[in-house]
Amino acid sequence: MIYEKPRFYPAGDRFIEVELGNEMSFSLNIAVHALAAAIRAAALPGIIELIPEMASMQISYDADRIAFDDVTREVERLYASASAGDEIELDSRLITIPVLYFDPWCEACIADYRRRVTDKTEDPELLCALNNLAGRSHLKRLHAAPEYWVAALGFWPGLCSLMPLDPRARLVAPKYNPPRSWTPKGAIGIGGAITCIYPDRTPGGYQIFARTPVPIWDREQKLPAFRESLALFRPGDRVRFIPIERDEYDYIEGKVNEGVYEHSVVDYQKFSMANYRRWLSRLESAA
Amino acid sequence: MSSRAFFEVVEPGLETCVQELPGRIGHWEQGFPPSGPADAWSFRLANLLVGNDREAAALECQFLGPTLRMLEDGVIALTGAEMMPRLDGAPVALWQSISVRRGQVLATGGGPTGARMYIAFSGGIDTPPVLGSRATFHMAGVGGADGFAIKAGQMLPVGTAAPHVMAHQVDAGLRPQIETGKVVTVEVVPGPNDDWLGAEGVAAFLAANWTVLAQSNRTGMRLKGPAISFAPRAYDKLPEHGQDPSNILDHGYPIGGINIAGQTPIILLQDAPSTGGFVNPFTVPSAALWKLGQIRPGQQIRFLPVTLDEAHEMRRRQDRICTAAQALKPL
Repeated sequence: MIYEKPRFYPAGDRFIEVELGNEMSFSLNIAVHALAAAIRAAALPGIIELIPEMASMQISYDADRIAFDDVTREVERLYASASAGDEIELDSRLITIPVLYFDPWCEACIADYRRRVTDKTEDPELLCALNNLAGRSHLKRLHAAPEYWVAALGFWPGLCSLMPLDPRARLVAPKYNPPRSWTPKGAIGIGGAITCIYPDRTPGGYQIFARTPVPIWDREQKLPAFRESLALFRPGDRVRFIPIERDEYDYIEGKVNEGVYEHSVVDYQKFSMANYRRWLSRLESAA
Repeated sequence: MSSRAFFEVVEPGLETCVQELPGRIGHWEQGFPPSGPADAWSFRLANLLVGNDREAAALECQFLGPTLRMLEDGVIALTGAEMMPRLDGAPVALWQSISVRRGQVLATGGGPTGARMYIAFSGGIDTPPVLGSRATFHMAGVGGADGFAIKAGQMLPVGTAAPHVMAHQVDAGLRPQIETGKVVTVEVVPGPNDDWLGAEGVAAFLAANWTVLAQSNRTGMRLKGPAISFAPRAYDKLPEHGQDPSNILDHGYPIGGINIAGQTPIILLQDAPSTGGFVNPFTVPSAALWKLGQIRPGQQIRFLPVTLDEAHEMRRRQDRICTAAQALKPL
């Protein structure tokens, strides 16, 4: 459910958890981002930074400049005016990520886990079985079809939680149990109803089935996309996956290694909740 | 920039790293934690002793300190845990300004109590800021000396020092008192998710002694203790919250949060993950975080609940102590 009013929970003397609801849904997540945008625009003295998440956000504040009760009062006020549902319009960049589906590196990683840990169903086949898909080409077609919404970032620098904006492309899968000890950098995975891109070679639990040659974080800030930050995505961005073949993968990887790859980032668009809802209802009536 | 190489690392010690306050602010939503010193009280006092702003970059030593060769004359200060510091072989004291000459060697080792010692240099360490801070975030290789702990052979620069650094010491009563006994009392503010434990679960958690495990570092402090019980709402929830009673829909993680992963409490420290899917029933307030920075594996923690107002008062008192006017007296 989405609560009528935000709920505030103190997290020590410097942080506040603000819950707007308790479900994983796009409409709740966009309410979180609309509130985050309103708080930032209000530039309240003493509000330091925000971590927007699926259904909540964490506010860092300086209690010597703004009291807990003043934060909650201001945020409630902003929520009441910002959450007029359909009027929400947010700046939203569109970032295109080239992807090699069923790549040899994820295949090797899955094989390594099956050999050393447990003989699980291979990740693409598990995804097909759980989502009633005809096979790998169906999985690839469906996964690459929608735009994805960057619902949240975190746990590791740049690690993104992506929700498909087209409900017909919703894919679900359980997480690895036990987790994987390693995942190829750039692997694409699904856990629950969320797609992620692994920013680096890290442990992981999502079912993996594709890989991008494009970095989504770079501590050396070599490529132009990392001039302002070490991480590519910001909450509220949209992502589109473009299937590529191995020769294209190798070409892009070469450009990345030379330090000349330019990410495809379109930053002149807004996301309109009213238009999105209209599009959704057309989908429903067609179905 | 007038920064110059001020010391050379002879022996790095154990994960000795550059830290700075307030840490890396403004990039948490992309997954970059604040980082910064584990014991900010000792850290700030070290800076005051060398005439720096109390937030300037300095070295954090963990359990086993480094050996450094001075490349210039200047003033340094050591605070926090005692790690047997010697300057050219002669023991030197913590909590006071120390004049050093070019060529002198500061050697440190391990100590019997506490976990972290700080070394501040007049002028402050002047490695390049990354995303606005010099604080080291080892796990991702961000900030500090080329992203990681210091390494043998590195030469680190300092900025412009105050023209005349007077020799001072910190009044003994104003130093953090590192607990050497078996049990350390650490304050907590209930929340944000204390309702997931319920009144009984909260009371049982606060009544226990929690042993600090060796698998602890700057990201988190792992604890072992009795079974944790949860309120009915931890079981009766939507599936997107996860299967374990300690699971919640992914949310932000506060520094100092006591994160319950299954049955293991992990206190989220300065390099903790920014978000995740476990509840945080209690949060250690900022003024008590220094205690966690000085606890050794094997010691036990007893949590003492305080109100939010008390936590604010603790922070204000510590902020007042960590000023040159309050803390320093001539040597």
